[in-house]
Amino acid sequence: MKQLNELTIIEALEGLKQKTFTSVALTQACFEQIEKYDDVVKAFVTLVKDRALAEAEEADLLINSHGPEIFEEKPLLGIPYACKDNYSTKGVQTTASSNMLKGYIPPYESTVTQKLKDAGAVMLGKTNMDAFAHGSSTETSDFFKTINPWNKNKVPGGSSGGSASAVMSDMCIFSTGSETAGSIRGPAAWCGASGFKPTYGRVSRYGVVAMASSTDSPGPIAKTIEDASYVLKIIAGKDPLDATSSPTEVEDYFANLNNIDLSKIKIGKPKSYFEIELEPGVREKVEQAIEKFKELGAQIVEMDLLSPKYSIGVYTILQRSEVSSNLARLDGIRYGNDRTNFGFESKKRIMLGTYTLSAGYYDAYYSKAQKVRTLIVDDFNKAFNEVDMIIGPTMPCVALNLGDPEKSPMFGELMDVLAEPSAIAGLPGISIPCGLSDNMPVGVQLIGKHFDENKLGAVAYAFQKATDYHLNKPNLEGLK
Amino acid sequence: MISKDDVVKIATLAKLDISGQEELFASLFSQTIDYIKILEELDTKDVAETYQVTGLVNVFQQGLENRATLTKEEVLQNAKEVTNGLISTKGVFDRE
Repeated sequence: MKQLNELTIIEALEGLKQKTFTSVALTQACFEQIEKYDDVVKAFVTLVKDRALAEAEEADLLINSHGPEIFEEKPLLGIPYACKDNYSTKGVQTTASSNMLKGYIPPYESTVTQKLKDAGAVMLGKTNMDAFAHGSSTETSDFFKTINPWNKNKVPGGSSGGSASAVMSDMCIFSTGSETAGSIRGPAAWCGASGFKPTYGRVSRYGVVAMASSTDSPGPIAKTIEDASYVLKIIAGKDPLDATSSPTEVEDYFANLNNIDLSKIKIGKPKSYFEIELEPGVREKVEQAIEKFKELGAQIVEMDLLSPKYSIGVYTILQRSEVSSNLARLDGIRYGNDRTNFGFESKKRIMLGTYTLSAGYYDAYYSKAQKVRTLIVDDFNKAFNEVDMIIGPTMPCVALNLGDPEKSPMFGELMDVLAEPSAIAGLPGISIPCGLSDNMPVGVQLIGKHFDENKLGAVAYAFQKATDYHLNKPNLEGLK
Repeated sequence: MISKDDVVKIATLAKLDISGQEELFASLFSQTIDYIKILEELDTKDVAETYQVTGLVNVFQQGLENRATLTKEEVLQNAKEVTNGLISTKGVFDRE
Protein backbone atom coordinates (compact mmCIF):
# COMPACT_ATOMS: atom_id res chain seq x y z
CA MET A 1 0.00 0.00 0.00
CA LYS A 2 1.47 3.32 -1.09
CA GLN A 3 1.69 6.28 1.28
CA LEU A 4 -0.33 9.25 0.01
CA ASN A 5 2.80 11.27 -0.84
CA GLU A 6 4.04 8.38 -3.00
CA LEU A 7 1.07 8.58 -5.35
CA THR A 8 1.24 9.72 -8.95
CA ILE A 9 -1.04 12.53 -10.15
CA ILE A 10 -3.40 10.05 -11.80
CA GLU A 11 -3.63 7.90 -8.65
CA ALA A 12 -4.06 10.93 -6.37
CA LEU A 13 -6.83 12.37 -8.57
CA GLU A 14 -8.68 9.07 -8.39
CA GLY A 15 -8.49 9.08 -4.57
CA LEU A 16 -9.68 12.69 -4.36
CA LYS A 17 -12.58 12.02 -6.74
CA GLN A 18 -13.62 8.90 -4.81
CA LYS A 19 -13.09 10.80 -1.53
CA THR A 20 -10.80 8.03 -0.30
CA PHE A 21 -8.69 10.83 1.18
CA THR A 22 -8.67 14.63 1.21
CA SER A 23 -6.31 17.13 -0.35
CA VAL A 24 -5.42 18.25 3.16
CA ALA A 25 -4.31 14.70 4.03
CA LEU A 26 -2.38 14.46 0.77
CA THR A 27 -0.68 17.82 1.36
CA GLN A 28 0.10 16.93 4.97
CA ALA A 29 1.64 13.63 3.85
CA CYS A 30 3.98 15.59 1.55
CA PHE A 31 4.98 17.94 4.37
CA GLU A 32 5.59 14.98 6.70
CA GLN A 33 7.96 13.53 4.10
CA ILE A 34 9.66 16.91 3.70
CA GLU A 35 10.02 17.27 7.46
CA LYS A 36 11.47 13.77 7.68
CA TYR A 37 14.02 13.93 4.87
CA ASP A 38 14.59 17.44 3.57
CA ASP A 39 17.23 18.25 6.16
CA VAL A 40 19.35 15.68 4.28
CA VAL A 41 18.05 16.01 0.70
CA LYS A 42 17.77 19.83 0.80
CA ALA A 43 15.43 20.01 -2.18
CA PHE A 44 13.50 23.09 -1.01
CA VAL A 45 14.68 26.68 -0.56
CA THR A 46 11.26 27.95 0.57
CA LEU A 47 8.25 26.16 2.05
CA VAL A 48 4.77 27.67 2.27
CA LYS A 49 3.00 25.21 4.55
CA ASP A 50 0.20 27.45 5.84
CA ARG A 51 -0.64 28.72 2.38
CA ALA A 52 -0.54 25.18 0.96
CA LEU A 53 -2.83 23.77 3.64
CA ALA A 54 -5.27 26.65 3.10
CA GLU A 55 -5.27 25.91 -0.66
CA ALA A 56 -5.81 22.21 0.08
CA GLU A 57 -8.71 23.01 2.38
CA GLU A 58 -10.26 25.15 -0.33
CA ALA A 59 -9.84 22.28 -2.78
CA ASP A 60 -11.59 19.90 -0.40
CA LEU A 61 -14.48 22.34 -0.03
CA LEU A 62 -14.85 22.53 -3.81
CA ILE A 63 -14.76 18.74 -4.17
CA ASN A 64 -17.41 18.39 -1.47
CA SER A 65 -19.69 21.05 -2.88
CA HIS A 66 -19.30 20.28 -6.61
CA GLY A 67 -18.53 16.56 -6.74
CA PRO A 68 -16.14 14.92 -9.21
CA GLU A 69 -17.32 17.17 -12.11
CA ILE A 70 -15.18 19.95 -10.64
CA PHE A 71 -12.08 18.13 -11.94
CA GLU A 72 -13.13 18.86 -15.51
CA GLU A 73 -12.78 22.55 -14.78
CA LYS A 74 -9.85 22.15 -12.38
CA PRO A 75 -7.82 19.16 -13.56
CA LEU A 76 -5.18 19.40 -10.81
CA LEU A 77 -7.51 20.27 -7.95
CA GLY A 78 -5.90 19.48 -4.61
CA ILE A 79 -2.67 18.04 -6.08
CA PRO A 80 0.47 19.22 -4.23
CA TYR A 81 3.51 20.17 -6.31
CA ALA A 82 6.98 21.61 -5.89
CA CYS A 83 7.96 24.65 -7.95
CA LYS A 84 11.45 25.47 -9.20
CA ASP A 85 12.57 28.72 -7.62
CA ASN A 86 12.93 30.57 -10.94
CA TYR A 87 9.15 30.84 -11.42
CA SER A 88 7.84 34.18 -10.23
CA THR A 89 5.26 33.50 -7.50
CA LYS A 90 3.32 36.50 -6.24
CA GLY A 91 3.88 37.01 -2.53
CA VAL A 92 6.28 34.07 -2.24
CA GLN A 93 10.04 34.70 -2.24
CA THR A 94 11.58 33.94 -5.64
CA THR A 95 15.37 33.86 -5.74
CA ALA A 96 16.46 31.52 -8.56
CA SER A 97 18.68 30.26 -5.68
CA SER A 98 20.79 33.42 -5.96
CA ASN A 99 21.97 35.93 -3.37
CA MET A 100 21.18 38.58 -5.98
CA LEU A 101 17.45 37.93 -5.56
CA LYS A 102 17.50 36.86 -1.91
CA GLY A 103 14.54 38.49 -0.19
CA TYR A 104 12.76 39.35 -3.45
CA ILE A 105 8.99 38.95 -3.16
CA PRO A 106 7.51 39.17 -6.68
CA PRO A 107 4.46 41.38 -7.22
CA TYR A 108 3.27 39.16 -10.07
CA GLU A 109 2.72 35.51 -10.98
CA SER A 110 4.35 33.56 -13.83
CA THR A 111 1.98 32.23 -16.47
CA VAL A 112 2.83 28.59 -15.66
CA THR A 113 2.21 28.91 -11.92
CA GLN A 114 -0.96 30.91 -12.65
CA LYS A 115 -2.20 28.10 -14.89
CA LEU A 116 -1.39 25.52 -12.21
CA LYS A 117 -3.18 27.67 -9.62
CA ASP A 118 -6.22 27.99 -11.90
CA ALA A 119 -6.16 24.21 -12.35
CA GLY A 120 -6.35 23.84 -8.55
CA ALA A 121 -2.80 22.63 -7.85
CA VAL A 122 -1.40 23.24 -4.35
CA MET A 123 2.10 24.72 -4.23
CA LEU A 124 4.20 23.27 -1.39
CA GLY A 125 7.25 25.47 -1.86
CA LYS A 126 10.11 26.45 -4.12
CA THR A 127 12.96 24.13 -5.02
CA ASN A 128 16.70 24.60 -5.11
CA MET A 129 18.55 25.03 -8.40
CA ASP A 130 21.87 26.20 -9.76
CA ALA A 131 21.83 29.97 -9.16
CA PHE A 132 20.07 31.55 -12.16
CA ALA A 133 20.07 28.00 -13.62
CA HIS A 134 23.82 28.34 -14.35
CA GLY A 135 24.85 24.74 -13.98
CA SER A 136 24.03 21.08 -14.29
CA SER A 137 24.51 19.87 -10.74
CA THR A 138 22.54 22.27 -8.47
CA GLU A 139 25.87 22.81 -6.71
CA THR A 140 26.13 26.43 -7.85
CA SER A 141 23.08 27.38 -5.78
CA ASP A 142 24.16 30.33 -3.63
CA PHE A 143 22.39 28.74 -0.64
CA PHE A 144 23.24 25.03 -0.29
CA LYS A 145 23.73 21.85 -2.26
CA THR A 146 20.88 19.44 -2.92
CA ILE A 147 21.82 15.77 -2.85
CA ASN A 148 20.72 12.95 -5.09
CA PRO A 149 18.14 10.87 -3.17
CA TRP A 150 19.79 7.68 -4.49
CA ASN A 151 23.13 8.48 -2.87
CA LYS A 152 23.94 11.37 -0.57
CA ASN A 153 27.44 11.71 -2.05
CA LYS A 154 26.08 12.34 -5.54
CA VAL A 155 24.66 15.45 -7.21
CA PRO A 156 21.04 15.39 -8.43
CA GLY A 157 21.97 17.04 -11.73
CA GLY A 158 20.69 20.45 -12.65
CA SER A 159 19.70 23.02 -12.95
CA SER A 160 16.28 21.68 -11.84
CA GLY A 161 17.98 19.45 -9.23
CA GLY A 162 15.70 20.36 -6.33
CA SER A 163 12.60 19.61 -8.38
CA ALA A 164 13.87 16.18 -9.50
CA SER A 165 15.05 15.29 -5.98
CA ALA A 166 11.74 16.36 -4.44
CA VAL A 167 9.79 14.19 -6.89
CA MET A 168 11.93 11.09 -6.38
CA SER A 169 11.93 11.58 -2.58
CA ASP A 170 8.12 11.60 -2.73
CA MET A 171 8.01 15.03 -1.12
CA CYS A 172 5.50 16.13 -3.75
CA ILE A 173 3.26 14.59 -6.40
CA PHE A 174 4.98 16.39 -9.27
CA SER A 175 7.20 19.41 -9.87
CA THR A 176 7.99 22.12 -12.36
CA GLY A 177 11.44 22.51 -13.88
CA SER A 178 12.81 24.54 -16.74
CA GLU A 179 15.33 23.67 -19.39
CA THR A 180 17.71 25.79 -21.41
CA ALA A 181 19.78 22.78 -22.47
CA GLY A 182 19.45 19.71 -20.29
CA SER A 183 18.04 21.24 -17.10
CA ILE A 184 14.86 19.12 -17.14
CA ARG A 185 16.14 15.99 -18.87
CA GLY A 186 19.46 15.87 -16.99
CA PRO A 187 18.22 15.88 -13.39
CA ALA A 188 15.27 13.67 -14.39
CA ALA A 189 17.79 11.12 -15.74
CA TRP A 190 20.14 11.31 -12.76
CA CYS A 191 17.33 11.03 -10.19
CA GLY A 192 15.22 8.45 -12.05
CA ALA A 193 12.26 10.75 -12.79
CA SER A 194 10.33 11.39 -16.01
CA GLY A 195 11.05 14.82 -17.49
CA PHE A 196 9.27 16.47 -20.40
CA LYS A 197 11.09 19.37 -22.09
CA PRO A 198 8.57 20.89 -24.49
CA THR A 199 9.21 22.57 -27.83
CA TYR A 200 10.59 26.11 -27.41
CA GLY A 201 7.54 28.38 -27.23
CA ARG A 202 5.10 25.59 -26.34
CA VAL A 203 5.01 26.77 -22.71
CA SER A 204 5.12 30.47 -21.82
CA ARG A 205 8.33 31.88 -20.36
CA TYR A 206 6.48 34.83 -18.80
CA GLY A 207 7.64 35.22 -15.20
CA VAL A 208 10.42 32.66 -15.42
CA VAL A 209 13.78 34.21 -14.46
CA ALA A 210 15.51 34.36 -17.84
CA MET A 211 18.69 32.49 -18.59
CA ALA A 212 19.03 32.11 -22.37
CA SER A 213 15.80 33.49 -23.78
CA SER A 214 16.14 31.82 -27.18
CA THR A 215 16.08 28.30 -25.68
CA ASP A 216 14.46 28.57 -22.19
CA SER A 217 11.61 26.04 -21.97
CA PRO A 218 9.56 25.51 -18.81
CA GLY A 219 8.22 21.99 -18.30
CA PRO A 220 7.25 19.28 -15.81
CA ILE A 221 9.28 16.68 -13.90
CA ALA A 222 7.09 13.83 -12.65
CA LYS A 223 7.00 10.24 -11.43
CA THR A 224 5.69 8.93 -14.76
CA ILE A 225 5.48 10.21 -18.32
CA GLU A 226 1.71 9.88 -17.99
CA ASP A 227 1.79 12.50 -15.22
CA ALA A 228 4.23 14.73 -17.11
CA SER A 229 1.97 14.68 -20.19
CA TYR A 230 -1.03 15.48 -18.01
CA VAL A 231 0.70 18.58 -16.59
CA LEU A 232 2.13 19.66 -19.94
CA LYS A 233 -1.32 19.88 -21.47
CA ILE A 234 -2.37 22.23 -18.67
CA ILE A 235 0.62 24.59 -18.81
CA ALA A 236 1.06 24.70 -22.62
CA GLY A 237 -0.36 27.31 -24.97
CA LYS A 238 -0.06 30.73 -26.54
CA ASP A 239 0.40 33.50 -24.01
CA PRO A 240 -0.05 37.17 -24.95
CA LEU A 241 2.54 37.96 -22.28
CA ASP A 242 5.26 35.99 -24.10
CA ALA A 243 5.65 36.99 -27.74
CA THR A 244 7.74 33.89 -28.44
CA SER A 245 5.02 31.50 -27.23
CA SER A 246 3.48 29.60 -30.12
CA PRO A 247 -0.07 29.88 -31.47
CA THR A 248 0.15 26.21 -32.60
CA GLU A 249 -2.84 24.38 -31.16
CA VAL A 250 -2.26 22.42 -27.94
CA GLU A 251 -3.17 18.76 -28.31
CA ASP A 252 -4.47 16.62 -25.46
CA TYR A 253 -1.14 14.91 -24.74
CA PHE A 254 -2.69 12.91 -21.93
CA ALA A 255 -5.81 11.65 -23.70
CA ASN A 256 -3.68 10.66 -26.71
CA LEU A 257 -1.15 8.58 -24.78
CA ASN A 258 -2.66 5.31 -25.98
CA ASN A 259 -3.28 6.64 -29.45
CA ILE A 260 -0.21 5.17 -31.11
CA ASP A 261 0.76 2.20 -33.24
CA LEU A 262 4.42 1.56 -32.53
CA SER A 263 4.83 -0.54 -35.67
CA LYS A 264 4.37 2.70 -37.63
CA ILE A 265 7.05 4.54 -35.66
CA LYS A 266 10.59 4.91 -36.97
CA ILE A 267 13.14 5.85 -34.32
CA GLY A 268 16.54 7.14 -35.42
CA LYS A 269 19.64 6.07 -33.52
CA PRO A 270 22.34 8.67 -34.30
CA LYS A 271 25.81 7.12 -34.50
CA SER A 272 27.41 10.33 -33.22
CA TYR A 273 25.41 10.15 -29.96
CA PHE A 274 26.91 6.74 -29.24
CA GLU A 275 30.44 7.60 -30.42
CA ILE A 276 31.09 10.04 -27.58
CA GLU A 277 32.54 8.68 -24.37
CA LEU A 278 29.67 6.89 -22.62
CA GLU A 279 29.93 5.08 -19.30
CA PRO A 280 29.61 1.33 -20.04
CA GLY A 281 26.62 0.97 -17.67
CA VAL A 282 24.80 3.83 -19.41
CA ARG A 283 25.52 2.41 -22.86
CA GLU A 284 24.26 -1.02 -21.79
CA LYS A 285 20.98 0.24 -20.28
CA VAL A 286 20.23 2.51 -23.22
CA GLU A 287 20.94 -0.29 -25.72
CA GLN A 288 18.57 -2.50 -23.71
CA ALA A 289 15.91 0.23 -23.88
CA ILE A 290 16.37 0.40 -27.65
CA GLU A 291 15.89 -3.38 -27.84
CA LYS A 292 12.70 -2.96 -25.83
CA PHE A 293 11.37 -0.38 -28.29
CA LYS A 294 12.14 -2.84 -31.10
CA GLU A 295 10.31 -5.57 -29.21
CA LEU A 296 7.33 -3.23 -28.86
CA GLY A 297 7.23 -2.92 -32.64
CA ALA A 298 9.12 0.29 -33.35
CA GLN A 299 11.61 0.34 -36.20
CA ILE A 300 15.10 1.45 -35.14
CA VAL A 301 17.20 3.05 -37.86
CA GLU A 302 20.92 3.83 -37.54
CA MET A 303 21.50 7.34 -38.81
CA ASP A 304 24.03 10.14 -39.14
CA LEU A 305 23.63 13.35 -37.21
CA LEU A 306 26.15 16.18 -36.78
CA SER A 307 28.47 15.49 -33.85
CA PRO A 308 27.04 16.95 -30.64
CA LYS A 309 30.51 18.37 -29.88
CA TYR A 310 29.68 21.36 -32.10
CA SER A 311 26.57 22.03 -30.07
CA ILE A 312 28.73 22.47 -27.00
CA GLY A 313 30.47 25.36 -28.78
CA VAL A 314 27.24 26.90 -30.07
CA TYR A 315 25.46 26.54 -26.77
CA THR A 316 28.34 27.96 -24.75
CA ILE A 317 28.42 31.12 -26.87
CA LEU A 318 24.65 31.63 -27.17
CA GLN A 319 23.93 30.94 -23.55
CA ARG A 320 26.74 33.11 -22.13
CA SER A 321 25.77 35.95 -24.51
CA GLU A 322 22.10 35.81 -23.59
CA VAL A 323 22.97 35.47 -19.90
CA SER A 324 25.10 38.62 -19.99
CA SER A 325 22.26 40.51 -21.61
CA ASN A 326 19.52 39.14 -19.34
CA LEU A 327 21.46 39.67 -16.13
CA ALA A 328 22.48 43.20 -17.13
CA ARG A 329 19.04 44.31 -15.92
CA LEU A 330 19.82 43.30 -12.34
CA ASP A 331 21.03 46.55 -10.86
CA GLY A 332 19.76 46.18 -7.30
CA ILE A 333 17.83 49.45 -7.58
CA ARG A 334 14.29 48.42 -8.46
CA TYR A 335 14.47 44.98 -6.86
CA GLY A 336 17.09 42.46 -5.78
CA ASN A 337 20.53 43.17 -4.41
CA ASP A 338 23.54 44.91 -5.91
CA ARG A 339 25.89 43.27 -8.40
CA THR A 340 28.51 42.31 -5.80
CA ASN A 341 26.12 39.48 -4.92
CA PHE A 342 26.64 37.51 -8.12
CA GLY A 343 28.25 34.13 -7.49
CA PHE A 344 31.42 32.93 -9.20
CA GLU A 345 29.64 30.90 -11.89
CA SER A 346 27.35 33.79 -12.86
CA LYS A 347 30.26 36.22 -13.04
CA LYS A 348 32.14 33.82 -15.30
CA ARG A 349 29.17 33.50 -17.65
CA ILE A 350 28.30 37.21 -17.72
CA MET A 351 31.89 38.09 -18.54
CA LEU A 352 32.27 35.59 -21.35
CA GLY A 353 28.96 36.72 -22.82
CA THR A 354 29.99 40.36 -22.56
CA TYR A 355 33.13 39.46 -24.50
CA THR A 356 31.42 37.39 -27.23
CA LEU A 357 28.89 40.17 -27.84
CA SER A 358 31.44 42.99 -27.84
CA ALA A 359 32.40 44.99 -30.92
CA GLY A 360 35.11 43.22 -32.86
CA TYR A 361 34.28 39.78 -31.51
CA TYR A 362 30.56 39.58 -32.30
CA ASP A 363 31.08 38.12 -35.79
CA ALA A 364 33.73 35.64 -34.71
CA TYR A 365 31.65 34.25 -31.87
CA TYR A 366 27.95 35.15 -31.61
CA SER A 367 27.24 35.40 -35.32
CA LYS A 368 29.31 32.28 -36.06
CA ALA A 369 27.39 30.35 -33.38
CA GLN A 370 24.02 31.43 -34.82
CA LYS A 371 25.15 30.20 -38.25
CA VAL A 372 26.22 26.83 -36.90
CA ARG A 373 22.85 26.75 -35.17
CA THR A 374 21.29 26.90 -38.63
CA LEU A 375 23.39 23.88 -39.66
CA ILE A 376 22.15 21.99 -36.59
CA VAL A 377 18.51 22.90 -37.32
CA ASP A 378 18.90 21.80 -40.98
CA ASP A 379 20.57 18.58 -39.86
CA PHE A 380 17.57 17.71 -37.65
CA ASN A 381 15.09 18.67 -40.38
CA LYS A 382 16.84 16.29 -42.74
CA ALA A 383 16.76 13.56 -40.10
CA PHE A 384 13.04 14.03 -39.49
CA ASN A 385 12.37 13.40 -43.17
CA GLU A 386 13.51 9.85 -42.46
CA VAL A 387 12.44 9.17 -38.87
CA ASP A 388 9.67 10.16 -36.43
CA MET A 389 11.95 10.70 -33.48
CA ILE A 390 15.50 10.22 -32.25
CA ILE A 391 16.73 8.10 -29.36
CA GLY A 392 19.88 8.33 -27.26
CA PRO A 393 21.25 8.41 -23.74
CA THR A 394 20.18 11.51 -21.79
CA MET A 395 23.51 11.86 -19.99
CA PRO A 396 26.88 10.26 -20.80
CA CYS A 397 27.24 8.84 -17.26
CA VAL A 398 25.27 8.36 -14.04
CA ALA A 399 25.21 11.14 -11.42
CA LEU A 400 28.65 12.42 -10.44
CA ASN A 401 30.01 12.82 -6.93
CA LEU A 402 29.44 16.10 -5.14
CA GLY A 403 32.38 18.40 -5.85
CA ASP A 404 33.33 16.85 -9.21
CA PRO A 405 31.46 19.43 -11.33
CA GLU A 406 33.63 22.25 -9.98
CA LYS A 407 36.68 20.75 -11.65
CA SER A 408 35.84 21.92 -15.19
CA PRO A 409 34.92 25.47 -16.31
CA MET A 410 32.53 23.93 -18.84
CA PHE A 411 31.23 21.05 -16.74
CA GLY A 412 27.59 21.72 -17.49
CA GLU A 413 28.13 22.05 -21.22
CA LEU A 414 30.09 18.79 -21.35
CA MET A 415 27.54 16.86 -19.27
CA ASP A 416 24.62 18.21 -21.27
CA VAL A 417 26.27 17.38 -24.60
CA LEU A 418 23.44 15.03 -25.59
CA ALA A 419 20.68 17.53 -24.75
CA GLU A 420 22.30 20.58 -26.36
CA PRO A 421 21.71 19.92 -30.08
CA SER A 422 17.96 19.47 -29.59
CA ALA A 423 17.76 22.40 -27.15
CA ILE A 424 19.53 24.72 -29.60
CA ALA A 425 17.06 23.64 -32.29
CA GLY A 426 14.11 24.14 -29.91
CA LEU A 427 12.96 20.54 -30.20
CA PRO A 428 10.90 18.71 -27.57
CA GLY A 429 12.56 15.92 -25.59
CA ILE A 430 11.67 13.40 -22.94
CA SER A 431 13.92 11.61 -20.48
CA ILE A 432 12.61 8.46 -18.85
CA PRO A 433 14.41 5.99 -16.60
CA CYS A 434 15.69 2.77 -18.22
CA GLY A 435 17.35 0.94 -15.35
CA LEU A 436 20.09 1.28 -12.77
CA SER A 437 23.85 1.20 -13.17
CA ASP A 438 25.84 0.93 -9.90
CA ASN A 439 22.51 1.50 -8.18
CA MET A 440 22.12 4.91 -9.85
CA PRO A 441 19.37 5.68 -12.40
CA VAL A 442 20.10 5.86 -16.13
CA GLY A 443 17.89 7.92 -18.44
CA VAL A 444 17.05 7.34 -22.09
CA GLN A 445 15.84 10.29 -24.14
CA LEU A 446 13.51 10.67 -27.08
CA ILE A 447 13.73 13.80 -29.23
CA GLY A 448 10.89 14.81 -31.56
CA LYS A 449 9.97 17.33 -34.21
CA HIS A 450 8.72 20.77 -33.22
CA PHE A 451 5.29 20.49 -31.55
CA ASP A 452 5.29 16.68 -31.79
CA GLU A 453 4.86 16.26 -28.02
CA ASN A 454 1.85 14.04 -28.63
CA LYS A 455 3.77 11.31 -30.42
CA LEU A 456 6.77 11.66 -28.14
CA GLY A 457 4.65 11.22 -25.00
CA ALA A 458 2.77 8.25 -26.44
CA VAL A 459 5.97 6.39 -27.39
CA ALA A 460 7.50 7.01 -23.95
CA TYR A 461 4.25 5.89 -22.33
CA ALA A 462 4.27 2.65 -24.35
CA PHE A 463 7.75 2.00 -22.90
CA GLN A 464 6.62 2.68 -19.32
CA LYS A 465 3.57 0.45 -19.73
CA ALA A 466 5.85 -2.41 -20.78
CA THR A 467 8.59 -1.84 -18.17
CA ASP A 468 8.83 -0.93 -14.49
CA TYR A 469 12.03 1.15 -14.39
CA HIS A 470 9.99 4.23 -13.52
CA LEU A 471 8.78 2.43 -10.38
CA ASN A 472 12.33 2.18 -8.96
CA LYS A 473 12.60 4.39 -5.90
CA PRO A 474 15.61 5.36 -3.78
CA ASN A 475 15.90 4.09 -0.21
CA LEU A 476 15.66 7.31 1.77
CA GLU A 477 16.34 5.61 5.09
CA GLY A 478 19.83 4.90 3.75
CA LEU A 479 20.51 8.65 3.53
CA LYS A 480 20.34 9.23 7.24
CA MET B 1 44.97 34.25 -25.19
CA ILE B 2 42.92 36.40 -22.87
CA SER B 3 45.07 38.62 -20.66
CA LYS B 4 44.48 39.76 -17.14
CA ASP B 5 43.92 43.29 -18.51
CA ASP B 6 41.23 42.02 -20.91
CA VAL B 7 39.41 40.37 -18.05
CA VAL B 8 39.57 43.49 -15.88
CA LYS B 9 38.16 45.58 -18.75
CA ILE B 10 35.29 43.14 -19.33
CA ALA B 11 34.50 43.04 -15.61
CA THR B 12 34.30 46.85 -15.58
CA LEU B 13 31.97 46.83 -18.60
CA ALA B 14 29.74 44.22 -16.94
CA LYS B 15 29.92 46.07 -13.60
CA LEU B 16 31.34 43.08 -11.77
CA ASP B 17 33.91 42.98 -9.02
CA ILE B 18 36.51 40.27 -9.63
CA SER B 19 39.34 41.70 -7.53
CA GLY B 20 41.79 39.06 -6.36
CA GLN B 21 40.54 36.57 -8.94
CA GLU B 22 41.77 38.22 -12.15
CA GLU B 23 44.28 35.45 -12.94
CA LEU B 24 41.74 32.71 -12.31
CA PHE B 25 39.13 34.32 -14.54
CA ALA B 26 41.71 34.89 -17.30
CA SER B 27 42.70 31.23 -17.24
CA LEU B 28 39.12 29.87 -17.23
CA PHE B 29 38.20 32.36 -19.92
CA SER B 30 41.03 31.18 -22.18
CA GLN B 31 40.07 27.51 -21.70
CA THR B 32 36.50 28.22 -22.76
CA ILE B 33 37.55 30.35 -25.76
CA ASP B 34 39.92 27.56 -26.84
CA TYR B 35 37.06 25.07 -26.76
CA ILE B 36 34.61 27.12 -28.77
CA LYS B 37 37.16 27.45 -31.58
CA ILE B 38 35.86 24.01 -32.57
CA LEU B 39 33.19 25.87 -34.57
CA GLU B 40 35.84 27.00 -37.03
CA GLU B 41 35.88 23.42 -38.34
CA LEU B 42 32.48 24.05 -39.95
CA ASP B 43 32.08 26.09 -43.11
CA THR B 44 29.33 28.70 -42.66
CA LYS B 45 30.18 30.97 -45.61
CA ASP B 46 26.71 30.97 -47.19
CA VAL B 47 24.74 30.07 -44.09
CA ALA B 48 22.24 32.51 -42.55
CA GLU B 49 21.94 32.97 -38.78
CA THR B 50 19.05 31.43 -36.85
CA TYR B 51 17.65 33.59 -34.06
CA GLN B 52 14.14 32.18 -33.72
CA VAL B 53 13.75 28.43 -34.05
CA THR B 54 10.00 27.96 -34.45
CA GLY B 55 9.63 30.43 -37.31
CA LEU B 56 7.63 33.17 -35.58
CA VAL B 57 8.06 36.62 -37.13
CA ASN B 58 6.72 40.06 -36.20
CA VAL B 59 4.49 39.07 -33.29
CA PHE B 60 2.35 42.06 -32.34
CA GLN B 61 -0.16 42.58 -29.56
CA GLN B 62 -3.74 42.18 -30.76
CA GLY B 63 -5.89 44.82 -29.10
CA LEU B 64 -5.94 44.78 -25.32
CA GLU B 65 -5.19 41.16 -24.64
CA ASN B 66 -2.19 42.09 -22.52
CA ARG B 67 -3.67 43.67 -19.43
CA ALA B 68 -0.82 42.78 -17.09
CA THR B 69 0.04 45.77 -14.98
CA LEU B 70 1.28 46.60 -11.50
CA THR B 71 0.11 49.19 -9.01
CA LYS B 72 2.54 51.89 -7.89
CA GLU B 73 2.82 50.17 -4.50
CA GLU B 74 3.69 46.87 -6.15
CA VAL B 75 6.35 48.49 -8.31
CA LEU B 76 7.94 50.18 -5.30
CA GLN B 77 7.68 47.29 -2.85
CA ASN B 78 11.10 45.80 -3.72
CA ALA B 79 12.98 49.05 -4.37
CA LYS B 80 16.02 49.69 -2.19
CA GLU B 81 15.25 53.37 -1.68
CA VAL B 82 12.07 55.31 -2.35
CA THR B 83 11.77 59.11 -2.27
CA ASN B 84 8.39 60.84 -2.70
CA GLY B 85 6.90 57.75 -4.34
CA LEU B 86 9.81 57.40 -6.78
CA ILE B 87 12.72 54.98 -6.90
CA SER B 88 15.95 56.69 -5.85
CA THR B 89 19.11 55.92 -7.79
CA LYS B 90 22.67 57.05 -7.54
CA GLY B 91 23.61 59.94 -9.82
CA VAL B 92 24.45 58.77 -13.30
CA PHE B 93 26.57 61.74 -14.32
CA ASP B 94 29.47 63.23 -12.40
CA ARG B 95 30.57 59.82 -11.24
CA GLU B 96 34.24 59.07 -10.96
